Amino acid sequence: MRKISASLITIILISILLIGVSDLPEFGKENNPSNNILSKTYIENTSKETGAANIVTGIILDYRALDTLMEATVLFSGVTVIILLFKV
Amino acid sequence: MDIILTNYFETGAVILFGVGFATLMLHRNLIKKIIGMNIMDTAIFLFFIAKGYIKGKDAPIIINSFNGVDTYINPIPSALMLTGIVVAVTTTAFALALTIKLYNHYQTVDLEVILRMRGENND
Amino acid sequence: MNKDIILKEVGKIIIPLVQLFGIYVIINGHLSPGGGFSGGTVLGTSLIIMHLIYGEDFVKNIYSRKKLLIGISSSLIFYTIIKGYSFLSYELELPHPPLGKLGSILSAGFILPLNIAVGIVVACVFYIIFSIFIKDEV
Repeated sequence: MRKISASLITIILISILLIGVSDLPEFGKENNPSNNILSKTYIENTSKETGAANIVTGIILDYRALDTLMEATVLFSGVTVIILLFKV
Repeated sequence: MDIILTNYFETGAVILFGVGFATLMLHRNLIKKIIGMNIMDTAIFLFFIAKGYIKGKDAPIIINSFNGVDTYINPIPSALMLTGIVVAVTTTAFALALTIKLYNHYQTVDLEVILRMRGENND
Repeated sequence: MNKDIILKEVGKIIIPLVQLFGIYVIINGHLSPGGGFSGGTVLGTSLIIMHLIYGEDFVKNIYSRKKLLIGISSSLIFYTIIKGYSFLSYELELPHPPLGKLGSILSAGFILPLNIAVGIVVACVFYIIFSIFIKDEV
């Protein structure tokens, strides 16, 4: 009973998501809506303003360095919680 | 309808999400449920990072000289998902620590046995 | 005869090479794929291997729990101070490190110290979580 209802819910969920996938644009074309002017601005200005040859490192450590700070804080708070959980 | 058959990455990511969800719901062992949650996280990362690929262009690293704006792929989805991967690792570590504490208290990792023991003990 | 002699002799050769590779991936973060997170993972794995081969007391004499926690906290505070300085220094025209030549290691302003800070945080976090899980207490 439980296994049948669990499989049914999974199949319904996958079919709803696949209906959503069938409306996506084609994979890897150049004029997709996701390759807009923002990515062209990042590619063009990164090596001039930051001096990094790796564009992804230049984005995560110069333009969006606050996101990396929050991520290091998540790691630190995870360690604090684990130490707190195991103290007698 | 034939978009589903040509977009390999998005279809594979959705099917992997379904596999992880079924693993989360069908097993009784707590460690297998945590594995299912990790598989769901990986499927979401695959779906998002695959949005950045453009056919015929190469990786966004400037080797000798800048070749122009039109010869690199989109670097933004890779940069955004780097934070998500670290958060998924921290969540898995926290869930495993809670499982160890449950095992020390109830001497089993089976969810039905734990619920039954909590129900009759009214802990 | 001691049963672990092959592991100990091979470990004496391999563990310094793994740590050297981890430091290389961290420092060349702005020139090639890699950066703070993946290099920190490699450094953390080298500490885990040292714990498994040589036992717990050997690692506790070199990297005690207190030193690792001081390492995490001071790296995080260092990252915050440098990011705060770089955030506020555009309007007030304060000095900042030079950009340098594209392709050399000492270039790109503040990116190299930030990579090193993130790498130290990730490596220490990996080893602390492992050492708590393998023995059931802090």
